[in-house]
Amino acid sequence: MKSNLRFGLALLMVLALSAAALASTPGELLIWADDTRAPVMEQLGRRFEAEFGVPVKVTELGFGDIRSQLGVAGPAGEGPDLIVGAHDWLGELVVNGLIESIDLGPLAADFEQVTLDAFTWGDTLYGVPLAFESIGLIYNKALVPEPPKTWDELLAIASELTDRERGYYGFLMQMPDPYHTFPLFSATGGYVFGTNPDGTLNPLDVGLNNEGSVRGLEVFDDLIESGLLPVGTDYNTMTSLFYQGRVGMIISGPWALGGAREAGIDFGFTRIPTIDGGVPKPFVGVQGFMISAFSENKLLAEVFLKEFVINKDTYLAMFARDPRPPAYKPALDELEDNIVVQGVRESGGAGVPMPSIPEMGSVWTAWSDAIELVMNQELEPKEALDLAVEQILGLIRASR
Amino acid sequence: MPQTIVRPPGRRRVARGLPGGWGFYTRLAALSAFDAVVLPFVITLFRDQEYALAGAVGIALLLINFVVLVERAYPLRYLLPGLLFMGALVVYPAIYNIYVSFTNYGTGNILSMQQVIQQLEAQTYAPPGAPRFPYAVFETEQGERTLLLTAPDGRLLVTVGHRVVPLAHVSGPEAVGLPEDPGFRLDVTVDENGNVVRIGDARRLERREVLQRLSALQHLELDMDGTRLRLADANNFQALSPRYTYNRAENVLVDNATGVVYVPKDGFFTSPDGERLLPGFRTTVGLANYVRLLTNPAIAGPFLQVFVWTFVWAGMSVVLTFSLGLGLALVLNHPQFKLKGLYRSLLIIPYTIPGFVSALVWRGLFNTEFGQVNRVVQALFGTVIPWLQDPFWAKVALLIVNLWLGYPYMMIVCLGALQSISPELYEAAYCDGARPWQRFWHITLPLLMTSVAPLLVSSFAYNFNNFTVIYLVTRGRPPIAGAVTPAGATDILISYTYRLAFESGRGADYGLAAAVSLLIFFIVGTITWLNFRFTRAFEEVEHSA
Repeated sequence: MKSNLRFGLALLMVLALSAAALASTPGELLIWADDTRAPVMEQLGRRFEAEFGVPVKVTELGFGDIRSQLGVAGPAGEGPDLIVGAHDWLGELVVNGLIESIDLGPLAADFEQVTLDAFTWGDTLYGVPLAFESIGLIYNKALVPEPPKTWDELLAIASELTDRERGYYGFLMQMPDPYHTFPLFSATGGYVFGTNPDGTLNPLDVGLNNEGSVRGLEVFDDLIESGLLPVGTDYNTMTSLFYQGRVGMIISGPWALGGAREAGIDFGFTRIPTIDGGVPKPFVGVQGFMISAFSENKLLAEVFLKEFVINKDTYLAMFARDPRPPAYKPALDELEDNIVVQGVRESGGAGVPMPSIPEMGSVWTAWSDAIELVMNQELEPKEALDLAVEQILGLIRASR
Repeated sequence: MPQTIVRPPGRRRVARGLPGGWGFYTRLAALSAFDAVVLPFVITLFRDQEYALAGAVGIALLLINFVVLVERAYPLRYLLPGLLFMGALVVYPAIYNIYVSFTNYGTGNILSMQQVIQQLEAQTYAPPGAPRFPYAVFETEQGERTLLLTAPDGRLLVTVGHRVVPLAHVSGPEAVGLPEDPGFRLDVTVDENGNVVRIGDARRLERREVLQRLSALQHLELDMDGTRLRLADANNFQALSPRYTYNRAENVLVDNATGVVYVPKDGFFTSPDGERLLPGFRTTVGLANYVRLLTNPAIAGPFLQVFVWTFVWAGMSVVLTFSLGLGLALVLNHPQFKLKGLYRSLLIIPYTIPGFVSALVWRGLFNTEFGQVNRVVQALFGTVIPWLQDPFWAKVALLIVNLWLGYPYMMIVCLGALQSISPELYEAAYCDGARPWQRFWHITLPLLMTSVAPLLVSSFAYNFNNFTVIYLVTRGRPPIAGAVTPAGATDILISYTYRLAFESGRGADYGLAAAVSLLIFFIVGTITWLNFRFTRAFEEVEHSA
């Protein structure tokens, strides 16, 4: 598959030699951005060009494609100078030698710390954080006037509202989905990777079957067994029912809110209720800019970032297109009253950056399988998680 | 082999013209234009060190020229496009795949050693407390540049060539010139604020002009009494030394700060005590991927289960689609059947909808709680089926989806083949008193098989690797409880490979994936070969043709 891609790219290169704008060219910035960020980048690019006479081109790519294409196009000399990406790509991009470190200097003080942490590999910063996100409890105020503070309250509200015959549900979450289930794990002490003394993650210390993790999966199992949560609920089912006003509470993130607003749902967005007194810690995801290691314009790209991107107006413009809270404090303070910003800050404030080491690739499937086996009532939580951790460690050891 | 391409007599004179005639010159002009377009690509590819690709394109170009210019190669004109595309789309990727299976290509090792050396050599470090020098650029009409640096103590420094000297040495009352040229002076113009605005003919550039030239300036290396100055950021020079130096003769990389020597080992520059420098590079690893494949318990674990299901899946898919397709074809072929055209069109619809759309729609239909299928099942039987949660039902669901996707093809094929069975045979059978069932069993099926059998074999091979349907409908799920490595009850070999190569370890592992795909190729190849051998499918076709 990849070899075809390489060959295709080479062919494309052959055919498009004249269109040199495809590749990083000295004295000209090329940015790869996804469809939500590309228009803002184009505007900034035009201003940069007007002010400094340096042309800026923006190519729109699917968000995931940016990651995979960079690995092919960068080394072939066809890549961009700047990309918009997610912090959890960092490990892969760094070990592959695809991105360049950035020194923000005094500007770093204006960023939310968790977003800088997310883009730091070892002790080096590799990206300029743009926005961050985390999941939380989204509730329909018409059905749930006051959000639950504890898991027991949530269960009480959910059992009262759920009427599966009529298609009403008190509480839904997508499954099997490690990302959305992790808050339950972390509330009672579960974690993915432990940390080394120097603060980096230790891929051989997997905490997904510790006591807290098992407790978290039991909480999930109870939801299924008690019949509150239909087996096999996915994102589309969950959100479409929520938009119809048939669901009291869901666990999701800012991306689900646009649809709710359009559907005229009066919703709230807050932290996930505590489990056994422990606060759920969702994964925090951060998007940001990264400079390609194959850029011909590294310094120019840095000027563009520091002098044009890092300011309140840009971050607010980005927020207007995509409701994820800005990582830049001056912009964030401006949005204090925004419900999404409040929700993410409240819920994600307790969160942890999603691990960005490449070993995370071994975790998702095994973890997801464990949740699914519990969901299907085939294994008990403890058994399923022990098995998953065994699989994960096996894969990580085999790849070393 | 019979001669397949027969040149009609007289065509040569009409179409090609005599050498020296108009046709010849038109052809020559077109060929020259074509060559003029393609040749630069070959040269560029060669310059970019893509030798394999440059060679391939070059050979293709030569072949095209040969075929157009040489009389004897005339028949090749019809074959060449096909051959070229086969080379580009089948042979090249296959060879590349084999090559990759002997390398460590994958996350952490995607760059070439050359690129890694370049990247590591470009890394610099500043001695602690190294001062920063803000700078200004002066440029003449001809584009010659002089830089003016400001030292931390406010002293001005100027570049002469690549050398940095105090401005006071080459201009002003106390100027002493350069050591080798005591008379050297720069003509410096200062404005009323004391800012230098011109040096000789060179004008001071505005910031926007400096930024436009930044990408050229970032390669500059200045020499200040033996200290190397480079751009640390857009506004400052700083004494920066290269962190690593590559020693080509000994093929080692030396850390200039610590003196540690790194040797290339297993795709990484590795220090004597085992520390690896990032990033790693691609390198050949011999049979390591194959050894991993055969000895890894993770892979040997659920392999058998996956292997068996792959056969069941491919076999059942063929049997079911063929049975339904043939049945429908027989019905449609019945002389008394009305509105044939309408039904035929309706039945072909699944074939016209892109497969991945159908697959995703079916996935939704099979949802246990909300899917339409279970609504019907509940209405009829008062229970629901855990379609995508139970290993058995997930397999059934997959086969239903594949039946939906595959029967129209079989129906079309059978409809065509049925036409070719001579009606006299049926008449004779009828006269002999054969029942419909006997007629089907002894006439229709055997005669149909001669033309359809090769298609069934290829359908089997296709479904053996039908990643799309599996991945879109179940993603290989539900998981197998107790597997050593994540595997699903509906995973077939190719989707299992995908998991191994892309969803485990440290991300993508192209080397291992290439090894597994070669293994699958041998399995499928053997099965297909055996199939053809025992059904004698091709030979029958040749006889009947």
